[in-house]
Amino acid sequence: MRPIKIMAASGMLGYGFTEEAFNHGLSLGIDLIACDAGSADPGPYYLGSGTPFVSRIAVKRDLSLMIRGGTQEKIPVFIGSAGGSGSDKQVDWTLEIIREICNEQNIYPKVAVLRTELRPEQLVSKINSGKISPLGPIKNLNENDADETHKVVSMIGAEPFQQALEEGADIVIAGRSSDAAIYAALPLMRGADPGLSWHMGKIIECGAQVIEPREGQDCVIGTIYHDYFTIEPGHPDRRCTRTRVAAHTLYENPSPYELKEPSGTLITKSATFEQIDDRVVRVSGSKWEPSSTYTVKLEGVKKLGFRTVFFAGTRDPILVSGINNFIEACQTRIERDSKAIGIDKEDYMLNIKVYGKDAVMGANEPLSDQNAHEVGILVDVVANDQDTSKAVCAKARYSLLHTDFPGRMCISGNLAIPFSPSDLSAGEVYEFNIWHIMECNDPMEPVRMELIIPNDPPEERLNG
Amino acid sequence: MAKLHELAKVIRSKNAGALLLTLDIMFDNEEAYRKVFDSGVLSPRKIASLYNLSDNQVEIIAFEVALAIKITIPRHTIAGSPGDSDVYGAQQHAPLLDLEITSG
Repeated sequence: MRPIKIMAASGMLGYGFTEEAFNHGLSLGIDLIACDAGSADPGPYYLGSGTPFVSRIAVKRDLSLMIRGGTQEKIPVFIGSAGGSGSDKQVDWTLEIIREICNEQNIYPKVAVLRTELRPEQLVSKINSGKISPLGPIKNLNENDADETHKVVSMIGAEPFQQALEEGADIVIAGRSSDAAIYAALPLMRGADPGLSWHMGKIIECGAQVIEPREGQDCVIGTIYHDYFTIEPGHPDRRCTRTRVAAHTLYENPSPYELKEPSGTLITKSATFEQIDDRVVRVSGSKWEPSSTYTVKLEGVKKLGFRTVFFAGTRDPILVSGINNFIEACQTRIERDSKAIGIDKEDYMLNIKVYGKDAVMGANEPLSDQNAHEVGILVDVVANDQDTSKAVCAKARYSLLHTDFPGRMCISGNLAIPFSPSDLSAGEVYEFNIWHIMECNDPMEPVRMELIIPNDPPEERLNG
Repeated sequence: MAKLHELAKVIRSKNAGALLLTLDIMFDNEEAYRKVFDSGVLSPRKIASLYNLSDNQVEIIAFEVALAIKITIPRHTIAGSPGDSDVYGAQQHAPLLDLEITSG
């Protein structure tokens, strides 16, 4: 088997890479350019609203270079978890950018679109047939949960990318995808060792995290040989270090030894890492345990309502010293004042956090008995509609600003409010209600594949 | 006796998905890694007391090849739900910094 070289353009589509690294990488003879575009870290809002958390301008820049590189070298380009959460809306957003680029570059690639949003009836039928189970500390799903769900995506494995290639795709743009699968798909298809393919994918998916010096995102290249793989930076003046590469399986994973993928588990227990020159690290010994059932992870959200927030500070030492009692008194007052305008306690969620006290760690804060010279107070109100959340937030603002406390001298106002308007509508609020795994009959079950040429070829335009 | 932050190079926290939090303690030399690991201070009981959990909710994994110790615990709130204060889970490491490491 000849070595297979895969370039991860960046740790996240839109986070950028240097042209120097990208061009140097291409000159090495690359078999695939790929980039992960997703993460659940920014929270449930992005899946719920279908909004990307990177800018269109940045995504277009990265994609333009990747697509130009792919055309030049006649190699495929893969994007996984398009738009951030991989919902259909975010896939379409990315597809629109690709259409624009194809027009600008005057190219007519075949694009495979892999949509991975699960339809409500699919979800219900999987729940009823007992094919969905929790992935960690979260409750089992029932039909009610399905009704409440606003959006749910399946995290697909390597096989749909392989099928897209078999059907002649030049560019594959996928909904929610396993980060490692984007990079493992091609080597696996060409018969490379599965342990090495998945481990290589897992390491390069975060881009420049394994590169020194750390100067932002950049390209990283994984090359798979018969019984080992290597990791090197795209940039000729940067290097990959053994420690960074070895440490990478720790990152954002519950365990560094076992990494669950749809078709099996990557076992890194016996992997060894060697620095073979200044820039390159060699990895071997990674193992793969295929699983008997094919499973995909599900990420889903339900809609909770609308948020209004208010933030202000206090510099009054008497108030700061008794802040906990003061907040408690205000909470009672907010409840009473809201009720007076017809809004019951059950109609909203109110969270007040005191920065400078225990806002970041809550009950886990070991130093919560200490007093700062000033504190920040954040009011967060979520209600079924924006008007209700605004109304409760206004009551909270008034209460925090004007409620008395023992020894109070600052009777014209308890707070320094940093801007006008003081209360900010933060829009829709979602919550992860599905963090589960789903058994599939086959790897294509959670996928809807479509092959298109986004930029109509000239002859078709003429015919049309 | 030394504090954990005097021996470690990296002490970080981050989500491992929306339901779990993972804390990584990384060292730049084997001696420091050994000293912390052998001290037994990083026990499920100790971590459970720092993070208001029960012992069986804490998983501690030694990752010697990278001179690292990983601790995985459940989040108190699902990431990004109302009431959560740290959507990425990136600022939950502070209670570890001053842990006293006694020679084992």
